[in-house]
Amino acid sequence: MTNSRVPVRGGKALSMLKRLGRLVRVLAAGGLLAVAGCGGASSDDGPVRVSVWAWYPEFKSVVEAFNASHTDVQVEWTNVGTGPDQYAKLKTAFTAGKGAPDVAMVEFQQIPTFVILDALVDMGQYGANDDEPLYAEWAWSQATDGDRVYAIPVDGGPMALMYRKDLFDRHGIPVPTTWDEYRVAAERVKAVDPGAFVASFGSDGGWINGLMWQAGCRPYGYSQAEARDRVRIALTAPECRKVFDFYGDLVSRGLMATDPFFTADATAALDSGKYWTWAAAGWTPGYVAGSLKNTAGKWAVAPMPQWTAGADEQGDWGGSTFTVTKQAKNPEAATKVARELFGRSEEAWDVGLHKAFLYPLVKEVAADPAFTGKPYEFFAGQKVNEIFVPVSEKLDEFQYTPFQDFVFGELNDRAAEAVAGSRPWGTVLEATQENVVAYAEQQGFKVDR
Amino acid sequence: MTGARVGGRRRVTAHPVAGALFVLPFFLVVVAFLVVPLGYAFWLSLSSRSLALGTRFTGLENYARAFTDPVLLDGLVRVALFGAVQIPVMLGVALAGALALDAVKTRFAAVFRLVAFMPYAVPAVIGALMWGFLYSRTFGPFADAPTWFGGEPVDFFGTSWLLLSLGNIVTWAWTGYNMIILYSALQGVPRETYEAAVIDGASQVQLALRVKVPAIRSAIGLASIFAVIGTMQFFTEPHVMARFAPQISSGYTPNLYAYNQAFAYSDFHYSAAISFALGFLVFVVAYAVVFVRRRGVRP
Repeated sequence: MTNSRVPVRGGKALSMLKRLGRLVRVLAAGGLLAVAGCGGASSDDGPVRVSVWAWYPEFKSVVEAFNASHTDVQVEWTNVGTGPDQYAKLKTAFTAGKGAPDVAMVEFQQIPTFVILDALVDMGQYGANDDEPLYAEWAWSQATDGDRVYAIPVDGGPMALMYRKDLFDRHGIPVPTTWDEYRVAAERVKAVDPGAFVASFGSDGGWINGLMWQAGCRPYGYSQAEARDRVRIALTAPECRKVFDFYGDLVSRGLMATDPFFTADATAALDSGKYWTWAAAGWTPGYVAGSLKNTAGKWAVAPMPQWTAGADEQGDWGGSTFTVTKQAKNPEAATKVARELFGRSEEAWDVGLHKAFLYPLVKEVAADPAFTGKPYEFFAGQKVNEIFVPVSEKLDEFQYTPFQDFVFGELNDRAAEAVAGSRPWGTVLEATQENVVAYAEQQGFKVDR
Repeated sequence: MTGARVGGRRRVTAHPVAGALFVLPFFLVVVAFLVVPLGYAFWLSLSSRSLALGTRFTGLENYARAFTDPVLLDGLVRVALFGAVQIPVMLGVALAGALALDAVKTRFAAVFRLVAFMPYAVPAVIGALMWGFLYSRTFGPFADAPTWFGGEPVDFFGTSWLLLSLGNIVTWAWTGYNMIILYSALQGVPRETYEAAVIDGASQVQLALRVKVPAIRSAIGLASIFAVIGTMQFFTEPHVMARFAPQISSGYTPNLYAYNQAFAYSDFHYSAAISFALGFLVFVVAYAVVFVRRRGVRP
């Protein structure tokens, strides 16, 4: 659903409750598996059982829908934890040579990493290339490499600007359409209410990445199909630099807060008028509706401010896929599960859209009036997907490195130094570039800059 | 069984065999959970898996890399600085508490003993999360306290406060534990020595500092070794608090760095080298503490 800095990720504020809930669910799933396992062992010609690791909320209903509609394949789902928790377990399993599930949920930025760890099956050999027309082009290009299909896209996070419509209206501040106007808005917010900020610089790798994407910055290049040991890292390009210059200026002038996203503090700030905007993603409407109760109905969504007036440049924050691991006992059946868990299943997407609040990457689902025309009470009845859908359609290619955890970790650490005032903002990208290049070379890559 | 087979020489040979049988369970556990993992980690650390080139034997190269890695060295310095402040504070408070408990014999003392010990019963993860909320500007009671007196609010997650904030969590969690160790040691001191000191005219303070503290010197030494080892392995609190404090970088402490190398960057070999080197360092430092303590006892 979201992606973020290395040690922890989205949903942090609620993590304790979620952990408890997850524990209960895992225990329940374990109990079910034990029972199912007994039944399966006795007959050889029963359905193929495919194990799945995924952390979506509400995923249980999706699995039930799949199992009810398939007699040949049955899914056994385990939630082993969100993002990094699951990746740590996966990496251990791949290193150990056993213990991985057949199908694993993996975020887009992690795909090249798992590919180079030789952990993922090329689903192209089981016909997955047929699915290409189904999915948003940018998502398909990130999930595949040439005609190798390493992942089936599920959800994404096209970005747009959430803002407090009531406060902007009351103080006559125009909703910014460019980043220059956004800077002016930031100054006016401060002038109106010294305790308020236009937004927070949230210390989230995926969020910064989305902003860089929107600025036309393409800092990474990697295609294993072309060259396994060649990677491009160009973090100091002017398109990347302007993002950090812009936000560095706002932060150092005290116009932007620095609470990390998804902490209790940041959530409270969004819900109390301390932050007036949030450059958010397609999955945000579901997230905020659940966590911001006080300010429901006061927010609206506008397209992202542009770097050039009248332009239409867009970015994405987060998104995930289903992959088939090399340890899958029956890769063909596992591929079927990865393709069809969501795929075009109406039942699955009904849960995905209205309960789990995923932003669909199946074009047909995203274009469906049931999605685009859905009014959100939280946004005073605004049909916010009318804004998010064109963004997803406009998104173009963006590649990641096969060591993206390291890159996001470096970016976060260096940006945190700048936020703390121990590093000039202008050197964040230089330092990151230098460290990442050194790391890549140490890992045996030839680096293009 | 053995005796029946070897007959008359039973007394000579049966004892070693029986002894070995008694030791065997312990030996198996040590081999399975200490020797084998250590050996495996060491073996892992002797090769490298670079993402692009695959796995190859590199000997001690990982160790050379570790001891010149600025991130690891920064982490070591940070942890050393942390320990230099936190350990004396924690042990000082624990010792004062233990002496007070030993001197005061009321029902309140028993209750206090339990309450002081309680934080140790809270899992470190929960403790860190709890303090994360207590430090919060929005929800915590402390951050805004200086503003009542016209001061600036405190940013407990900011660079200048971070080590102190973490130190407070560790002190909160472990002081009671150490206090109980020291208190138990005090219980073992023969009461006659106290009486003798009192008859000689010692005040309560003199009694505490001149009689009780020297008497439990070995317990204090043990507590400080545990504290040093714990500090070198500092992990849970910074790992959990990273969600509140972006200033906690991926290499904030050496253990956190080893964790991230393995589970975020998939470099199990380098992680093993860091862990092994760290383990060796812990051994050296702990031994140094023992050595210093022994020298301290002699005169």
